[in-house]
Amino acid sequence: MIKKIIVFAGLILLTAALCTAEIWKAPDQEKAKERAKEVVPFIKEYKDDCQITRRMSLIDAGISIKNVQDVYFLLDSPVIKKREDHYEPVRFAHKRHAALTKDCTKCHHFRPKDENALETTRCSACHQDSFNPDHPERIGLKAAYHQQCMKCHQEEAKGPVDCKGCHLRNVPDHKNLVKLPDNADPFQVTAECLRCHDTQAEDMLKTAHWLWKGPSPYTTGHRKDIMHGKGTTALNNY
Amino acid sequence: MQLSRRSFFKIMGAAGASVTALPPSANAWKSKAPPDPYGCLVDLTRCVGCRKCEEACAEVNGLPTPERPNCQCIVFDKKRRPDDKAYTVVNRYFTGKLDQFDKPLPTYAKVQCMHCQDPACVSACIVGALTKDETGAVRYDATKCIGCRYCMVACPFEIPAYEYHDPITPRVIKCSFCYDRISKKGGLPGCATICPTEALTFGKRETIVKVAQKRLEENPGKYIDHVYGEKEVGGTSWLYISSVPFEKVNLPVLSDKPSPKLSETIQHSLFSYLWSPLALFGVLGALMYKSNKNQGEPENKGGY
Amino acid sequence: MEHKAGPLNKKFWTPGVLVMLVFMIAGGISILARFTGGIGYITNLTNARPWGLWVGVDVATGVALAAGGFTTAALAHIFGKHYYEPVTRPALLTAALGYTFVVLGLLVDIGRSWAIWKPIFNWNTNSVLFEVAMCVMVYLHVLYIEFIPVVAEQFKDRVNLPGPLSVFNGLIDMILKIADAILDKIMWVFIILGVVLSCMHQSSLGSLMLIAPTKLHPLWYTPILPLLFLLSAFAVGYPMVVFETTIASSSFNLDSEMNILAPLTRITVFLLGIYMFFKLGDMFVRGTYTYLLDGNYQTNSFIVEMLFGVMIPWVMLLFEKVRNSRRGVFTAASLIVGGVVLNRINVFIVGYKPPLSDNGYFPAPGEFFVTLGLIATLMFVYRLVVTWLPVLQESKEVPS
Repeated sequence: MIKKIIVFAGLILLTAALCTAEIWKAPDQEKAKERAKEVVPFIKEYKDDCQITRRMSLIDAGISIKNVQDVYFLLDSPVIKKREDHYEPVRFAHKRHAALTKDCTKCHHFRPKDENALETTRCSACHQDSFNPDHPERIGLKAAYHQQCMKCHQEEAKGPVDCKGCHLRNVPDHKNLVKLPDNADPFQVTAECLRCHDTQAEDMLKTAHWLWKGPSPYTTGHRKDIMHGKGTTALNNY
Repeated sequence: MQLSRRSFFKIMGAAGASVTALPPSANAWKSKAPPDPYGCLVDLTRCVGCRKCEEACAEVNGLPTPERPNCQCIVFDKKRRPDDKAYTVVNRYFTGKLDQFDKPLPTYAKVQCMHCQDPACVSACIVGALTKDETGAVRYDATKCIGCRYCMVACPFEIPAYEYHDPITPRVIKCSFCYDRISKKGGLPGCATICPTEALTFGKRETIVKVAQKRLEENPGKYIDHVYGEKEVGGTSWLYISSVPFEKVNLPVLSDKPSPKLSETIQHSLFSYLWSPLALFGVLGALMYKSNKNQGEPENKGGY
Repeated sequence: MEHKAGPLNKKFWTPGVLVMLVFMIAGGISILARFTGGIGYITNLTNARPWGLWVGVDVATGVALAAGGFTTAALAHIFGKHYYEPVTRPALLTAALGYTFVVLGLLVDIGRSWAIWKPIFNWNTNSVLFEVAMCVMVYLHVLYIEFIPVVAEQFKDRVNLPGPLSVFNGLIDMILKIADAILDKIMWVFIILGVVLSCMHQSSLGSLMLIAPTKLHPLWYTPILPLLFLLSAFAVGYPMVVFETTIASSSFNLDSEMNILAPLTRITVFLLGIYMFFKLGDMFVRGTYTYLLDGNYQTNSFIVEMLFGVMIPWVMLLFEKVRNSRRGVFTAASLIVGGVVLNRINVFIVGYKPPLSDNGYFPAPGEFFVTLGLIATLMFVYRLVVTWLPVLQESKEVPS
């Protein structure tokens, strides 16, 4: 009886969560997604200033970290997707990085030669496809991101320098991978997951989620039992 | 043995004519490098050792997926070479450089076929199974190969590998410069496509050399002042620039002389139009005729 | 000239032959393993060491030691020194067998044995190996042709095939006679051709390594390597004849042929002297003597090669007393043969050290079995041929 209730309650919660996820979208995430889809015109010529001159001109133009508007970017572009698509794009906290470095020129190292152009133009305006025969010295967008991020993270000894520190691995679409009969029972589902994720299952067995036992203050009728939990009776402490 | 006067002079005449008609000195060695090949620059200061190039290479060329344990250190612990399962490998070297926290700084170096401008393997191949393509790629045609492995002896970079465990149809295995891809417009080699830091720069060799030189000029003190492969063994399609001496990352010190020059010069100055064998034939024939005439009919019929 | 070659007509199955048979079986099993598991299954060859014992010994050394064939042919037939004709037939047989086994060795060594004919149609005239292959191929046929008169002499008018095959008796007899008659007229072409082809590929075997300057130890890597190979082939020709004739005559209890062998060694003094002159001269001109005292296995091998393989036998042969003693001549000849064998092994195996990826090489047992098996088979066939065909000098039985 209790088990049934728990399963039922769980199902309701799950559906609710899914529905809300459908409805509610994080506005800055959506904005970042849209922004990452844009391809801006390629800037052929840039002003070859040294970093100090560059800093001076930013001060002259009155640009500082206070002017940072975009909080958050997705480091992604169709230019990169065109070649390969192995990892999820990096979620880049623009404002936070600006606040930490306190120096826009660290990333905005050059500006377009065109005087009317934005002082701090976006990366993908200058860095687009790799190995452009007309601009062989200009590195591509993907390399520009990686070189910039990793160099700074290494120099400052702060921030990740490994792949998974910044990226999520692209998760393949499980629609075709998962093979389950209609109305599969929970054991079938578990078995199907384990078919590929056996190492994850092994790891799971060592975590508190699996080993947990103790009082169940939120489980009706078992509030005072202290021996419930996955480690003992397979009951969760909902 | 009967050497009739007539037949002897016939042959002598032919030999003599061929010697006078075709002077051997006209065979100064010329490079057979294609006029406008592709090239690829490896900037060792940019390589972060992610081994994505290995993965991409295997995927593009249908090779077994490279080992990818949770920690790369297991792979980097031993020095690897390209073999019959991998066209390219990345090795890690500690050359004594330290970072700002006094931690030893690794240098990663990708190894693959250098696609020489005048490849030793192409010159050596007995059947011409290896050819230097217009794109700069040194291509291998298994249908011609007889498996003599002279290419492996000849290669100064020790690149070609062999399928030693195939009893009947073993192949020579080496990087193909992704010929199928780069021969199409805008095509890139698998490794260069995936490299996250653009440690690999692909383009026309001429352009690539300039890019390399420009990088050396613009970053004084960062690089060793040498573009490896620009002149080595007459030039290679793959070029390296580095902040550590090249011999420390297992790139051999080689002369600027194209590898096949000496042997081809000797072969062609001696054997073009078979002038020297014919001349020798003539001289020996004359000697034989003379010695047999002096002694009358040789008594042992049938030569032996 | 009072010489006449004849079949041996001796007992064939001796204990020695049985020992050879054991080696042949071991070799055969190894070859079987090579063609089921691949080259890597029975050899220690690696990507760094694509050439090992089989190329170094079966091919390079085999070719060098077959030099007796063309050097004696040149001496007796081209330079008209018919005095030496008694040794030409055994030398020819050794050469023919030697080259046959070079090709057999190659068949085992190359990865795609079934494709060995491909160089005939796919030419790469830049390749030294292509030239060597063509020369070896043509020369092998020249050697067989040169051997036809020996077969004809034995079987002319005596072709007697067993059983149902006997219907071909007349036909084969006719072919033999025609071939013999034609060859009698044009044999001189093949004799000269044999010498020319030999000069070409003996030297080119040395050119093979010129393309790998960084891999061959500087003691051996020299631009004149092809010349050294040719000179050493010249030098080893007569010693090889001395070596095998002495062994053959002592094991078959034949007359000693010292009257021919002694003057041959006088020529050897000259030929070996030239080889030594160039070899030492090359060392001094390029200044490679600085490596001599490095004391590693490579330099030591060079010292052994030069000292025992060239200098000591040369000095020995300077003495009239040595040249006239059977034992002395045999010892000197063996040393020279050993020296040239070691030279080829040094160039192709010991001195070969790829700087990037070498991990040392020592032949696997399987490689030894194949090589020894091939050598045993060669000796077996040699014995078979001299027993049935007129190759060796006919002699009055030496009472034992």
